[in-house]
Amino acid sequence: MGDVKLSIAGRAYDVHCADGQEPQLLNLATVVDEKVRAMPGGTEVRQLLFAALMLADEAQEAKGKAAKAEPQSDSLRAAVALAESREAQARDELKAALAELDALKKAPPSNPAPPNPTSAKPSHDRALLQIADRIETLATRIEQMS
Amino acid sequence: MELDLDESSLAIGRIERALSRIETVLTERANRPAPESAPPQSAPSDQSALKAEVVAVIGELDRLIAEAKNG
Repeated sequence: MGDVKLSIAGRAYDVHCADGQEPQLLNLATVVDEKVRAMPGGTEVRQLLFAALMLADEAQEAKGKAAKAEPQSDSLRAAVALAESREAQARDELKAALAELDALKKAPPSNPAPPNPTSAKPSHDRALLQIADRIETLATRIEQMS
Repeated sequence: MELDLDESSLAIGRIERALSRIETVLTERANRPAPESAPPQSAPSDQSALKAEVVAVIGELDRLIAEAKNG
């Protein structure tokens, strides 16, 4: 059991507390002492009464704020959980895609390549570009005729 | 048809824009009230050349589409 000497409103108080809690008790006594000293005039009892009322008011206000913040922190917690699950899902998908890619790299070609598909592509592209040229010319001529 | 996105999408975009220009002109012509005096028309040979070009372009497009369908 720890013994602590507190000083509140100029009066000394000897109090006992659990071992290790002395610094906290001294800290609380300082808070009460500051409140009492902030109370104007009156008797010591009256000053202590007002200090107690002020501290009770502050405690109640703090409780109200905590209660208001609770739903907000709940939705934040839910958002964090959702983000975490999406991140995990994305990581799984990435892992699966990497595995698939790896398997594709390792697997031997199952069948021979189709008959040179790349040779057809440039010719299609060229044909499309030529058609684009011709249709643009047609559009210009039709615009000039109108 | 496997298209190269850079070249062929560019070409398709140009084709779409040109078709849209043609459509605009044709719509304007259709909505225009008939003039009292005959408008200056292009020469008949010009018109038939134009028609031939339209037919040729359509044929070319058909050929490309058929090639794409048959791989």
